[in-house]
Amino acid sequence: MLTAGRRTRLATTAAVFAVLLTGTFVGQDDAFPFGPFRMYATRDAPNGVVVSTRVEAVDSTGHVLTVPDTATGMRRAEIEGEVGRFRRDPSLLGALSRAHSRLHPSQPPYVQVRVVERRFALRDSRPTGAATEQVVATWHR
Amino acid sequence: MAPVSWLFQPVPVARIAILRVVAYLFVPVDVLLTTPWVARHGSVPGELYQPLLIGRLLHPPTPGGWVPWLEVVLVAAALAAATGRLPRALGLLVAGLYLEWMVIAFSYGKVDHDRFAFLVLLAVLPTVGKRSEEAAGWAISMITLAVVATYFLSALAKLRFGGLGWVDGATLTRAVVRRGTWLSSPLLHRTVVLHAFQYVLISVELFVSPLLLLRNRLTPLLVSGFYLFHLMTFLTISIVFLPHCVALLALLPLERMPVRRLPARAAVPA
Repeated sequence: MLTAGRRTRLATTAAVFAVLLTGTFVGQDDAFPFGPFRMYATRDAPNGVVVSTRVEAVDSTGHVLTVPDTATGMRRAEIEGEVGRFRRDPSLLGALSRAHSRLHPSQPPYVQVRVVERRFALRDSRPTGAATEQVVATWHR
Repeated sequence: MAPVSWLFQPVPVARIAILRVVAYLFVPVDVLLTTPWVARHGSVPGELYQPLLIGRLLHPPTPGGWVPWLEVVLVAAALAAATGRLPRALGLLVAGLYLEWMVIAFSYGKVDHDRFAFLVLLAVLPTVGKRSEEAAGWAISMITLAVVATYFLSALAKLRFGGLGWVDGATLTRAVVRRGTWLSSPLLHRTVVLHAFQYVLISVELFVSPLLLLRNRLTPLLVSGFYLFHLMTFLTISIVFLPHCVALLALLPLERMPVRRLPARAAVPA
């Protein structure tokens, strides 16, 4: 005989894990917290390339800087997650400049922001040492 | 009825009391020290905000100048909850505020997967009253299921997104190229180790993590093994599943840990 408390808890358990299983099989990250646990779930080709993205900026004094996560509040993986939007509409990078000015008002503002992709070639799952760089989006004040 | 009796297997309420202290004290650590990048999202202009499904359903305002206020309220609520007072009301408040904190965290193009078990932990803590060992048991079972699901379902995600060939791909090479440390970068010259570790990883997730459901004498040893695994992950690719590690504590018989008692009684003259 199930008490009311047990029934509610049983139903909760079933619902939570049914939604989580559904998210695992058909959901995407968007379904957080019930999306698939897909960190490192994609397969990288042993003879493919590894892309590492960074943000560079030119500040008002002319210095070229590599922009760390703490400067704009956007982590590297987040830049990569939105890189498609930056490519389509580079003016969005202006938001990084504004974020930097809000977080670090005493530092010279960024007048140029660009997203750079560094591609490391792999052979048999090992970096060959060859790497190329490409600027994929640029914004000027 | 075996699954039902498993789910409601009684647990001393003392374990929940200890978990409350640890989990609610961890919230300020998480918010202020270990993942301070969440708060910085409040300074990111709204056009980069890409709300998750839950954010689109609940319509919280776009993160902005109010984020530091939420930070203060969340930390204060967690500290109040850590005292053990009003466990239901304060627990619910912390769970709700922390969920919104997660919406702010993961609505900018990247979702992490170290939080599920901790969110379940925060959600079930307020359901345990002062005396019910059965309610405490259900809470611990929920956390246990969430911990195991995090490992087991991440293996299924690898099979879904990477296919069976995932184990022979270069995923860990990629991780080390991007986030390598002094310990792991030399392995880029010994990629057979990284390759083999992919087999180990998926095997542990698929076949070892369900053993946590057995809850027997070996559980503490198994839990220690998983802590070691998370330590290795941190040392090799600088990723640490801290909130998950806090949830993992729930599987240990915390109520039996030797705790030095305050000498309050001894101070009273006989």
